[in-house]
Amino acid sequence: MFWKKGKSIANDSSDAQQPVQRKISLDSLKQVLDNMDDVEIIERTTLNDQKVVLIYLKTLIDQERLNELIIEPVIQCPHAMIYESIATPKVLKIQSLEEAQKLLLTGAVLLNDCIQEQWLVIPLPNELSRGIQTSETETILYGAKDSFTEQLEPNITLIRRRLPITELKTEKYKVGSLSETTVVLMYIDGLTNPEYISIARKKISEINFDLFFDSSQVAAFMEEHHHSIFPQFQQTDRPDVCAYSLGLGKLTILVENTPFVLIAPITFFHLFQSPEDYINRWPVASFLRVIRYFSFFLSVTLIPFYVALTTHHYQMIPLQILFVLVESRSKLPFTPFWEALVMLTILEIIKEASLRMPTKSSQTLGVIGGIVIGQAAVQAGFASKVLIVLVCISTISSFLVPNYLMTKANTLIQFGFLLLSSFFGVFGIAMGAIAILAHLNGLTSLKQPYFSPIAPFYWKDWIDLFIRGPLINMKSRPDHLHPLQKWRYKRRM
Amino acid sequence: MRRKKMLLVWGIFVSLVMIPGCAPFVENNTIEDIAPVTFWSISKGEKGKIKMSTLVPPLVNEPKSLLTLDVDLLKQGGKDFNLRYYRELKVGQLRLFLIHEELAKQGIFQLINTLLTDYDVSQRMYLVIVKGNFDEYINRQAKKQENLDYYLYRMLKHYERKKQGEMTIVNLHEYKNKLFSPFSDPVLPVFTVAKDNFTYEGTAFFSNDKLIETVTSTEDQIFQLLDNDHYLKFFPIPKLDVVIGRLRSRVNVDLDKNLSLVTINVKLNGRIEEYQGNKNILNGNELMQLQKEIETELEMKTTDLIKKMQELKVDPLQIGTHTLSPFSKPISEKVWLAAWGKMKIKVNYQLYFEALQNTKNNY
Repeated sequence: MFWKKGKSIANDSSDAQQPVQRKISLDSLKQVLDNMDDVEIIERTTLNDQKVVLIYLKTLIDQERLNELIIEPVIQCPHAMIYESIATPKVLKIQSLEEAQKLLLTGAVLLNDCIQEQWLVIPLPNELSRGIQTSETETILYGAKDSFTEQLEPNITLIRRRLPITELKTEKYKVGSLSETTVVLMYIDGLTNPEYISIARKKISEINFDLFFDSSQVAAFMEEHHHSIFPQFQQTDRPDVCAYSLGLGKLTILVENTPFVLIAPITFFHLFQSPEDYINRWPVASFLRVIRYFSFFLSVTLIPFYVALTTHHYQMIPLQILFVLVESRSKLPFTPFWEALVMLTILEIIKEASLRMPTKSSQTLGVIGGIVIGQAAVQAGFASKVLIVLVCISTISSFLVPNYLMTKANTLIQFGFLLLSSFFGVFGIAMGAIAILAHLNGLTSLKQPYFSPIAPFYWKDWIDLFIRGPLINMKSRPDHLHPLQKWRYKRRM
Repeated sequence: MRRKKMLLVWGIFVSLVMIPGCAPFVENNTIEDIAPVTFWSISKGEKGKIKMSTLVPPLVNEPKSLLTLDVDLLKQGGKDFNLRYYRELKVGQLRLFLIHEELAKQGIFQLINTLLTDYDVSQRMYLVIVKGNFDEYINRQAKKQENLDYYLYRMLKHYERKKQGEMTIVNLHEYKNKLFSPFSDPVLPVFTVAKDNFTYEGTAFFSNDKLIETVTSTEDQIFQLLDNDHYLKFFPIPKLDVVIGRLRSRVNVDLDKNLSLVTINVKLNGRIEEYQGNKNILNGNELMQLQKEIETELEMKTTDLIKKMQELKVDPLQIGTHTLSPFSKPISEKVWLAAWGKMKIKVNYQLYFEALQNTKNNY
């Protein structure tokens, strides 16, 4: 609402022009690959006394397979057709230097057949990756334990295993002039609304930047509201969440070298949904979801309410609690606002420090932060016991939100509310809440309203909003996603 | 464009501030800087003044002392308390307003108005009539018992809840509603201070804003059944050597058209809690006889109570509201009180006892 809409960075006209294609030659290649220590240029002679030159980057290729699939068969080749001797079907002929450069950097081997005067390319990338592990950011007790890795292919495999249908389409794009990062757009053809697909295609193809190391950077270029604190793309490293989202009519964007996949279009309420919601019994899942929403509200407003009540509205405090509050605050040197601000800032420092430290050290830090600082602050008279308790409750509450980016937004909202509550009391919190709601109402994700199914109102989607209704009653896909196939079950023709 | 947007945002912000009437200069209400008082006790002072008392510090665990002032005006008292104490005494947590019986007899309309027009004073504040010297009592007890003022408030809060059925508890809002309504008269609880005791005595009837009568013991309990809670946990009738318990009443008032007769039908459900009379209550006939005796006794007492109300020209039972109907002009308060004074009374009680348990017959 209050923020100016960011403009996507348009391609420069100079960039848009296709560079002139230069013919490939050994000299030109050596010139291009100058000062690169990991470049190997080897010459070999075949049984046919034919000279071949192999060029590759040893850091990018699988050297064991190089011998097995290329060098040995080529040396043993009795005839002039080297092309046929190579023991892999993925052999390409190229002519331009630019093409050769690109393919070399993706882990391919260039082979110069001197007699035939042709350049062959054999992709042989080394599969350097970690194994599939459990998700650390979205841990669940019950359910699938696998999570995405930094490699694109295994990630796509994990999704395809869950959705073994030919309608699951993948579209590859390259982003980043320096990083040359591969981005894969995934959707179910005939189910996902084509409008979303075309918007996503347009946005990805319009990305013009040099480096992309993470999906959040891709999201930053694709979202419509750059200055908002709320994530407009869901980021997850869980294949089951991706598959479920695809099945509902959303699309996913996989980015090379990151285990986090983008899901869009999302709403504010998707950030409160956990995969466990669909595993637990529906009353239990509904209860947990309500608790999640409540804890989000609590984490954002509890400390500001404390400041508002102790600064402006002593009348609203029940008498019994007022006894406790006056008792605990009677000897403090700070006003409630400064007391809360200092404690919350210290807590944020501890939280940030514990993230950056090794696991064993972070445990020590937890002890120091929790016991020493908390206890010492009270004993030294810097903070009241009541505030320490409230800070603990609000911090624990903030961890209930399944989305990490949302928990970070929490903190900022909390600080904003804190400032408003110190100036205007509960009225300030109400104003802040109105501003946040207005902002949420104005946000979009892939140009779809961020606050649906509340605004715009889709009453049928409320079955999976604040509560998680029984799965047997969720017969249709969410209306707010406008899927091409409304029903989730096979209907008689 | 951007400037216009900013102007719009500021316009909305200023409007939001102005709409609820937020003052640009806020008072300092930081809880460690103030002393929120929990009660004010007022009685007749010398030379027509009001004697005001409160306990300080109100909440903090420090030695307490009673501040007493002779003032002309209530707010003046509030101001002068502040000059005597190092923290500002705030009335936002005022929970009890104790009025001495003598002062209540003179009329408390102006006092109530002052309280009602104060933004800070909660409408849920309890009003209590006190007999005896409350200041002396609180001064003595405060030394023995910490936070006595708070426990007095807790007691009233406890009995305010529905189905407690022991005493009349009235807050400022309820008192105001009855005071300003043409067909009802306010009531307040009466507490007596005697040495170290603070005892509930009964219900005070008010004619407009003046206390004119206090009903006690059996009459007060009948009043609880007819109007207040319609419930009594125990109702001892010493004359008949019986205690009825868990007594729930359903009252039906029937007013004839020419305002000459009021019929009050009361259905009572309860159980015999204790009986020390000569009847064998395990015998059906004798139980019926006892039931009839109780009904007669209650009818007689209720008739006496209502006749007393007629003589005093007060209507705390709000019988006058039964003259109202949707398609006719309401009669004036004067006409109603004139009719009310001459009206014939007919009271019928129907008593239903729960089956007796754990008696010889059951084994």
